[in-house]
Amino acid sequence: MDNSLNEKEIQKRVRKEAIKRNWLLFRQSTLGMIGISIIFFFFILAILQPILFMTGVWDEGVYHPVVGYEELKVNLLVVECPDEYPTQKYESVGDCPGDGEITQRQIYNPNINPEVGDIHESLLQPSPPSSRHLLGTDSLGRDIFSQIMEGSQVAFILGLMSAIIGVSISTLLGTIAAFYGGRVDAYLMRQSDLVLMLPSLPFLFIVSAFAELKIWHLAVVLGMIGGLGGSVITIKSQALQVKVKPFVDSARITGGSNMKIIFSHILPNVAPLALLFMVFSVTGAIASESTLSFLGLLNIEMSWGIMIYLSQTDGYIFSGMAYWWLILPAGLAVTFLSGGFYLVGRGLDDVFNPRLRKR
Amino acid sequence: MTKYIINRFLQLVLVFFIFLVSSYLLFNAMPGDAFTSLLLNPQLPPDAYEKTIALYGLDKPLSERVILYVQNFFKGDLGYSYRYYPKSPIELIAERLPRTLMLFALVNITSVYLGFVVGKILAWRRGTKSETWLTLTSVFSYTVFYPWFALLMLWFFGYKMGWFPIGKFLYPEKWYDAPFDSDVIFMLMIKFTTIATIIQFISYVFTRKIESLNTRRNARVASLFLIFVGGYIFWNTGDALLKKPYAADIAYHMILPTLVVTVLAFAGTALLTRTTMMEVLKEDYIQTARAKGLSQKRIRDRHAARTALLPVVTSFIFTIVTIIDGSVLTEQIFSWPGMGQLLLQSVLNEDIPVAMAAFSFVGIFALIGHFVADISYAYLDPRIRIKSQG
Repeated sequence: MDNSLNEKEIQKRVRKEAIKRNWLLFRQSTLGMIGISIIFFFFILAILQPILFMTGVWDEGVYHPVVGYEELKVNLLVVECPDEYPTQKYESVGDCPGDGEITQRQIYNPNINPEVGDIHESLLQPSPPSSRHLLGTDSLGRDIFSQIMEGSQVAFILGLMSAIIGVSISTLLGTIAAFYGGRVDAYLMRQSDLVLMLPSLPFLFIVSAFAELKIWHLAVVLGMIGGLGGSVITIKSQALQVKVKPFVDSARITGGSNMKIIFSHILPNVAPLALLFMVFSVTGAIASESTLSFLGLLNIEMSWGIMIYLSQTDGYIFSGMAYWWLILPAGLAVTFLSGGFYLVGRGLDDVFNPRLRKR
Repeated sequence: MTKYIINRFLQLVLVFFIFLVSSYLLFNAMPGDAFTSLLLNPQLPPDAYEKTIALYGLDKPLSERVILYVQNFFKGDLGYSYRYYPKSPIELIAERLPRTLMLFALVNITSVYLGFVVGKILAWRRGTKSETWLTLTSVFSYTVFYPWFALLMLWFFGYKMGWFPIGKFLYPEKWYDAPFDSDVIFMLMIKFTTIATIIQFISYVFTRKIESLNTRRNARVASLFLIFVGGYIFWNTGDALLKKPYAADIAYHMILPTLVVTVLAFAGTALLTRTTMMEVLKEDYIQTARAKGLSQKRIRDRHAARTALLPVVTSFIFTIVTIIDGSVLTEQIFSWPGMGQLLLQSVLNEDIPVAMAAFSFVGIFALIGHFVADISYAYLDPRIRIKSQG
């Protein structure tokens, strides 16, 4: 009894020290630290939104990312555009109406007939960033900052879930293939060859066009594609190296069952590589989700991809930087978060396996 | 080597069968009996309904249907498009495949080559202050959300600057009285590009053995010059002269997609080449080469870069499917009417025969690309080459 307790304590201490050592190694990599801080930033954003709603700082009616709305009004001077350019006021056709001005023709409401020189009160949608809406609102009057927060929740849930599913599948299969060898190995390798050759984006198009995908489903599908594909091969080759180590032999001699050997001797030694794959596959999952949402194929309410999809279908992307708050935040968020995970992956790469070739 | 190729080829055939069957099952598993329900589309004539039912054996059990589908696929009999009714999926694909091939080949050759060169230089200049920044830029370009970035580029170069056309692959107004199909021009352009690439490749292979770096570079530049002169003569004589303005129109439309995809795609190769180069540079034979007093450039290009090429080719094998995915997106964003757009639109319009055929062809595309990359890998890696001989 005493002995086993001691053993556990030693294990605990060894693990603690290993984590500490690896963390020190990881901290040396500048890129990895940049990645960690990016991920941390988005994580804060993701958990901040529910807190703001719960504490009542944000009213859900106004700031809800999907159904929130706030009526912002702006006073515009009604003007008439000249027939010929240039005039004193306007240089070319593009200058009229200028800032804070509106022509009679642009007022679509038939009930009001303002004269030139009147002040017209118009809805301001999308509204530019202000102290009330940090990143402005979209064309439906919804707060962009809140949408970014919602999007980062979606990205974290989807990315981590699909990465966990994928990595558990590939680690298990890779270890089994390495341990049993022979036919099991041959079958598993051919299977991952097949999955590797599957054009995944067209495949996702088909699946998502016919079946209404939610985040949960997409995470499972992405996890399956990632988990059955190339990572099985890499993890298998790592597990093969572990399999021939003396401690596996000694475990077998002392009568450990196959399950015991796989789960408590080989798996822990493959785990670092698996963690690395996990971090890299988060990048892929976030990009896939955004791409599918961008093409309007997913059945979810709000995500970064959908924000870009909306700004494209509403035609704001070609209006250039005049509506930058509709275009830049969502795209940069996708880029930075997946970049952050990628950088962390590279940092981990240096820690666990300096010679590993992975990108 | 031959044995290896035959082995891989047999595997390819097997994998293709599995792919075909599983893609059929995938479409079959779509909820709501998609095949028959969509056939009730009022725009289809009644005989199309019966023909499609007979062709796919929709009244038979599943096992027979699968066999029938595979048989039909190899007969090239894939039914009719629900949307463009009298056309068959094969006709639609034959129309669009050249366009995809052209863009796809051009983009990949440029981006992989550029990535390799940039990665080589990045690794060589390691330790300079700009290294982290350069790497960060590459990472940004590697992980940037592609459709978003492409749209921004389209806005900037196409709309704001007005240098390049926005979308589509030709100006329709130029083609009103054109005596040719656009596909004829595409085929001609593909032929031209292929021949030019082969000539340049051959010149590379032949000049590999030349010892002096200057002579080698001059020989390569000369062959490039030869291609330019040959191209100029080719496009200015006989039949091709008539087709020149149309080809130029298409080429003009191709610049922006190529540019954008290259900027994004080269980063992956560059990052990988950098990593592997840095590992190669630690090897002893590099030290030996330095000790022998060889020039820096020679060590970089002949000793290090050649070894570093291997993992790059490996990763190319792994990413060839990703490249196809990317080309689907590229076509959608630049409204390039190729295979990817056909696939996406047919899926969105629930045009099942076309979607199935397009998916299968994209699969064939991926398989063949995989196969070619595999073979060239075996050729490059002496370990595989020798093992399969012995």
